[in-house]
Parts: sequence; structure tokens; C-alpha cells
Amino acid sequence: MIGGFFKVVNIEKSFGGNKVINGFSLDVAENTLQCLVGPNGAGKTTMIDLISGRQKPDAGKVYLNGDDITGKGEHEISRKGIGRKFQIPAVLKGLSVRENLEVAYSREVNALRNMFSMRAKGCAEKLDEISQQVRLTKRLEVEAGLLSHGETQWLEIGMVLMQDPAILLLDEPVAGMTENEIGLTVDILNKLKRTHTIILVEHDMGFVRKIADVVTVLHMGALLAQGNIEEIEKDDRVRAVYLGTEDAH
Amino acid sequence: MDISSIAFANSLILGLSIAGIFFVAALGLTIIYGTAGVINMAHGEFIMLGAYTVYALQTFMGVPYFLCIPVAFVVVGAIGFAIEKSLIRYLYNRPLDTLLATWGVSLVLIQGTRLIFGSDPKYVQIPQFLSSNIEVGGLSLGVFRVFIIFMALVLAAGVWLIFYKTDFGIKIRAVTQNREIAASFGINSGQVYSFTFALGAGLAGVAGALFGALNIVLPTMGMGYVVEAFLTVVTGGGALLGSAIASLAIGELQSFFALITNSTFAKFLIFVLIVVFLRFRPQGLISASGKRR
Amino acid sequence: MTHNAYHNKTLQWLFYIAVLAVLGAVPLISNDAFLLNQLAIYGVYGMLAVSISLCWGSGGILNMGQGIAFGLGAYCMAMTMQMQTQADGTIPPFMLNNGLDSLPLLWQPFQNTSTGIFLALFVPTVFYLIFGGIMFTARVSGPFFAIMTLATLSAFATIFVDLQPYTNGVNGISPPSSLKLGQTEIDPYSSGAYWFVFALLAACTVAAKLINQSRFGLIVRALKDDPERVRFLGYNVAIYETLVYTLSGLIAAIAGSCFAVLTQYVSPAQFEVGFSISIVIWVALGGRNSLIWAMFGAFTVQGAQSYVGDQFLSTWILILGFSFILVVRFLPGGLAGLVETLLGRTTKLKMEAEHANLEFSDGKEVLK
Repeated sequence: MIGGFFKVVNIEKSFGGNKVINGFSLDVAENTLQCLVGPNGAGKTTMIDLISGRQKPDAGKVYLNGDDITGKGEHEISRKGIGRKFQIPAVLKGLSVRENLEVAYSREVNALRNMFSMRAKGCAEKLDEISQQVRLTKRLEVEAGLLSHGETQWLEIGMVLMQDPAILLLDEPVAGMTENEIGLTVDILNKLKRTHTIILVEHDMGFVRKIADVVTVLHMGALLAQGNIEEIEKDDRVRAVYLGTEDAH
Repeated sequence: MDISSIAFANSLILGLSIAGIFFVAALGLTIIYGTAGVINMAHGEFIMLGAYTVYALQTFMGVPYFLCIPVAFVVVGAIGFAIEKSLIRYLYNRPLDTLLATWGVSLVLIQGTRLIFGSDPKYVQIPQFLSSNIEVGGLSLGVFRVFIIFMALVLAAGVWLIFYKTDFGIKIRAVTQNREIAASFGINSGQVYSFTFALGAGLAGVAGALFGALNIVLPTMGMGYVVEAFLTVVTGGGALLGSAIASLAIGELQSFFALITNSTFAKFLIFVLIVVFLRFRPQGLISASGKRR
Repeated sequence: MTHNAYHNKTLQWLFYIAVLAVLGAVPLISNDAFLLNQLAIYGVYGMLAVSISLCWGSGGILNMGQGIAFGLGAYCMAMTMQMQTQADGTIPPFMLNNGLDSLPLLWQPFQNTSTGIFLALFVPTVFYLIFGGIMFTARVSGPFFAIMTLATLSAFATIFVDLQPYTNGVNGISPPSSLKLGQTEIDPYSSGAYWFVFALLAACTVAAKLINQSRFGLIVRALKDDPERVRFLGYNVAIYETLVYTLSGLIAAIAGSCFAVLTQYVSPAQFEVGFSISIVIWVALGGRNSLIWAMFGAFTVQGAQSYVGDQFLSTWILILGFSFILVVRFLPGGLAGLVETLLGRTTKLKMEAEHANLEFSDGKEVLK
């Protein structure tokens, strides 16, 4: 029985001869916020793909609470408790904001039971709570495709919150957001990490500084350095990889 | 089951003939689908228009058969060009809608032809020497069927030359690989798509010029080719070589099955085999290179 | 989407009930047996339209081979009806003509009426379940799936023609008398038959609408939009797609069974590609996202077609083809989409007017 809450062990992945992930391991404690950083092409999104089931690793294992979820299907992994927010916001554009949030409330996924149910239990209350958190209460009936970029990011965050998974995988959640919006996201995440585990991919070191408990630096598909934000910022190897330029905020 | 070696050899040759027909029928579709990912449900009607073009040229202008074939290419190619410019180009990001819209085009073309030429069967005349049979040993095959096999090879060579030896061919291949990057190199992808569609339509026209002589010419003659042409293209994967191999495989298998059972059941078996094959290998025999739109 | 009367659920249900009430009242107005039979056949087309709207409008699954379920249902029912007329131990005449001397295994279950009717619904549904299951678990894409349905339909047409001793080939099966349920005979030219078909049409429509409004319907519409997103929320998309496709097949099978009862003639024409695609055309024109407008599409097109008669049939189909192209290109929501837009504009105007009224009353809120 493998201990630890979320564990990635020696993952390897190649695409057509190109080794993208090269023996990467990760250990995430419950109710922490772990940031995955690294230069472009380091393999961050691929790692998220491999964890969430969008891609299957060539070698290695992924464990969630002792459960081996390696190579399982996306919906199975999601059911086990992993929710994902995509780099390019993926919302259901033809549905209203309200309907998006309702779909995301995936407590009951059985198709037959859903055929005989008009409303999901507890959905309305949760929707009120989440729509307030993501500031979309006045936009509930708007078609999701018509939202602004920031609002779309919010909606997807809201959807993951409705899904309420044990682990949230967030891929660049503040990309394109204004200062204000980023500030609000920081508040939400800091509150959330007390009760949920979050793995977050980011470029913006300023944002990372505000929220990260642990920072993992990925380079060329392998672990370069890991520690809290102060340790990472002082690490020479990390500086060398980023060519001495710390992402200014 | 007692199959004499003569019957078997005959079925092999017949299979080659069927393969030739499939290939010629599917060639235009291969190009259009392979390049632009367009599923042209009016493909059968392009074939039909080719046949009617030959009929009209022969009946009203007395044009000799061999000259009719390139004219059919140009006429149907022009029609295809017009259809691409007025309709298809607006639907490239909506593959289901392309499917439906081209079915609408198919209906319009069939009914339009019916109104112009009538529903009664028409006939295409072929030169005397093409009408006979070749007999070698115990094997026999119609000369016209051999001519179709010959045309299959000629057209395949012609298309290969266009794709790999001409400037236009380079553009087509570039646009097939990656439309945006091709555009950034100054290639007018809109024009490329238009001419490619026209090329595909023209080749269907040539197919019609041939098939019109093989069977009677009716407004609905194209419908018998469209499903099988599609299955050939999709089994092949959208590449020229893929369609060639798929045609050969399907032609020979169908002929062989027809020997064992009957020709209708043979068709049924082929359908089933293709559906099963595609379930396990949806990209076909040879994946068409590059990103489709 | 905001406050558009088109989306008001209560109004929608009232509309549906009103339309179904009108349809149900027809035999009270007309006694013409031939007309009733014709209209009942339109009811069959209506059911087919509802079935396609369910899997295409709601699920985004373009199915060009609905004739598979329709034809299978029709053949099973025709076989049941044929066996009802056969005295014990005898076999249908066409089989004797084809050299058979005993009832084939395939036909034997149809000697029992209940089994036959059960098979008419069961066989197509199971086929769709298996076919859909195989395709959707393999994540076969939209246009590809559509072509597969077309190819499979063609295969059915071919095999039903080929199995002459079992199906009478191109001639089809024509049971000499109407369906008998227990002691009642369902005369196809009676108001009884009309109401029989109408009841099934109403039931299928109401059931489909309830399904659309359920959580299942919401998730199906979501996966039409972005299947990957829905997968990452924890739903097994393949199961939802297979179920919605299978349900549409069940409705089509019911339609096929009714068709056999009404026309007492079933042939491989039921498996014709042109017919299956014309169902899609009715639904595209009427409005794929609305069950009732899809039904209207079927009524209108088929009605116009029989009105036009044989003389102008070619011109009519030409116009139909053009209309279809225009709808696909410019009006993807069909007539229903047009109604939705118009209602949306009137609702917006109404709201603006109310808002203006509020402003004029000293800034105080008079209307709550």
C-alpha cells in the first residue's frame, strides 16, 4: 500500500521519439497548494495530461490516496477525485452560465438515474455559493460563449469548484486576468487550500509567491528543484534555467 | 466447394477490374477529402454529370468518345469550382454541415439533370474495338474493362505527377499539412482549395465518362457509387496510395466472395469487413499526412 | 437566452399539449378513412422526426441511417402480421415459391403475436445499443459516425434484398390482413388506427421532451458542445451518447411497427438511403433543436410532397434541395430557430418598454 495523498512515481512519456517526460516523480501532501513551474516546453501541461488521463504514460505510476489511477480513462480519474481546469478555458459555450455550473455538479453520473431526475440534490445551494464566489451571479442566464475572457476563466474555476474534487489541477488559471481578478483568485485559492489539494501550473512567479506552499520546478521533463518559494528563488540551478530572468510581475 | 482454377483466375482478373472502377470512382473524392477533409456527398452526382456531358457531346455535337473524356473533366471541374466558391468554402469548419449541404447539392443536381434530360435512360457510345472481349486461355474480360484499368493507372500517374512534380502540387501538400503556416508563406489557400475541389470534381467527371459506357446513364446513377467510393477513401485513409491499396483489396475480396456466394452477399460481406476494420483502425490503411482542417 | 418566451418551459408544454390536442381531435372532424390512414402515416413520419431531433438536436449525433431501426421494426411487425394469417403449420406463399418447405428458424418466434411485437421493438434497439456502443467507445467522430450509419444502412438494404427466401427480396412482405391484437383488429383505414398511432406519437414526444429536460438531457447537450470537458467532469460520455442514440432507435422502431400496421406492406425501400436522409432534411428545416418543430418539418415537407403530386415532383425536390442548402448554410436552427429569434426580439422589446414605463413613474418602482 503506497502511502501519501497524491504520488507520481517515475513517469516517462515520449511523443514520436521525443522524450517529453523523463523520470519525473512528485509527492503532494493533502490540503496543500503545489505549484508546477518551469520554462516553456518543460512538460508541465503534458504532466497534467498524464495525471488527468488525457494521455497515458509510457512508464511510471500515479497514485491517489493509495489508489493506482495510472492510465485510467479521463472520466474515471475525474470520478476518483481529480478536477481539471484547462490552459485555454474550456466551458460549454452553447449553454448558459447556470447550465454550465449545473452540469459541473457531477455527484450523480449514472446516465439512467439522471434520466429520471430533473434536479440534482444540493445543486441549487452550491450554485448560489459558487456563483457568488466567482462573481457571476448577475451573468447566470448569459450564454457562456458570450462571456469576456476573465469571466470565462472564472466560470471554469466555478465549474471545478462545483465538481468539488479532492485534487484540483489548474493550468494557468490567471492567464489574461486583470490585477483585480488575480487578487480575487489568490483569495479563493488561499481559502480553498485549507480543505482541498491543489496542483497549479504557472509562469507568473509573483502569483506563485502569493499562494504556493511548495514549488516544483520542471525542466526538460524531469524534476530540477523543489521547495518553498524562498528556497526556489535562491536556487542557482533554477536561475540558470530561467537564464537569470525572474518573471517580473 | 469446388472452384476450378480457371474460375479463380477469372475472379482475380474481374477483381482487378472492380478495383479499377473503385479507384477511378474514389480518386476525386480522395483528393478532396485528403486535402480539405471535405466529405462531398455530391460526388456521385459529379460522376453522373460526367456521363451526361459525354452523352450530350456525342448526341448533339457528334464529338468522338476519346475527346469527350477530357471535355468531361473540364466541364465537371468547372461545376465543382463554382460549387466550392459559392458554398463549400463557407463550411470548412463545420464538417457535419458540409456533409448535409453537399447532400442538398446532390439532390439539386439529380433533379436538375432530370428536368433537363428527362428520366429515361441514355446511352454512351464507345468505339467498336472497345466493345469486344479479350480471350486468353480460358480467361475472358471485356476490353472496355481493361481500358478502365488502364485509365486508372493513367489517372493515378497524372495525379501523382501533379502532386509531386508541379508547383501547384507543392501548394496543395503544404496546405494539407498546415493551412495557417502555408498561408504565412504566401500561399493563397482559398485558391488552392478551390482548384483542388475542381480537380476532384473533374476526376469524378472522367469516372462518369467511363462508367456511362459501362452502364446506362440515368440521373440517379451516381448514387450507386457514392457509398462505395466513400468506404474506399476512408479505408485507404485519404492518401492516394491508401485509396489504391484499398481499391485493390476491396475489388479482389468482392470478386472472390462473389465466386463463393453471390455478388449481393459479397457486397454485404465487404460492408461488414470495412465497418469492422474502421472500428479498429479509424485512420485507415495509410494516414493522410498532416493536420486536416 | 435571457427571458426569451421561447425558452419558457410552461409555455413550451402548453404549446405541445395544444398541438397534440389538435392532432388528436382530427378523427372527430373527418370521417374520410383514406385521409385518416394518410394522416396516421404522417404521424409515423412525425415520430421519426422526433427520434432524429433527439439524437441530433440534443446529442449532436448526426444519424443518416435511422432507416435501420425503422426498417427492422417494420419487417418484424410485418412478419408478425403475416404469421397471424397463416393457419397452423402453413408457411407464407413466397417461401414456397423460393423453395422452402418449412418455416425458417428466423421466422419462428413471430408465430406468437406478443413475441413478434416485442421483437419489433427489441431487435432494432439492441442493434443500436451494440452499434452505438462500439462506435462511441471508440470515440468515432461526428462525420465519420454519420458515414458509418450510411454504410450500415446500405448493408441492410443489400442483405434484405439478397435473403430472398426469408424476406421475399425486392418484393417485400405484404400481410394479407390487418394486425389483430387479441380480439381487436386494427383496421388501417379507421379512426382506431389513427388514434393508435397518435397515442404512440404523443407518448414518444412527451417522453423525449421529459428526457431533454432531465439531468440526462442537460448532460447530453453539454457533451454535444464539448465532450472532452464533460469527460473531465466525471461523466462517461460514451454511455450517454449510446443511450441517446438507442432511445432514438427505439422511437424509430415504434414508428416502423406502426408503418407496417398502416400500410400492410414492407420492403427494402424502408432501408433506402434517400429516405433516411430525408428524415434529416425534415428535421433540419423544421428545427433540429425542437421536437415539435422537427415534427412540423416532417408534416410540411411530406405534406407538400404529396400535394405537389408526381408531375412536379422533380421541381419540388429541386426546391427542397435548395432550401436544405440554404438552411444548413444560413439557418442552422431551422424554422424553430427563426421563431426563437423573433420571440427573443419581442420579449426584449417588451422588457425595454416595461423598463421605460418604470422610468417615467417618478423614478419609483411601480411595477414589481
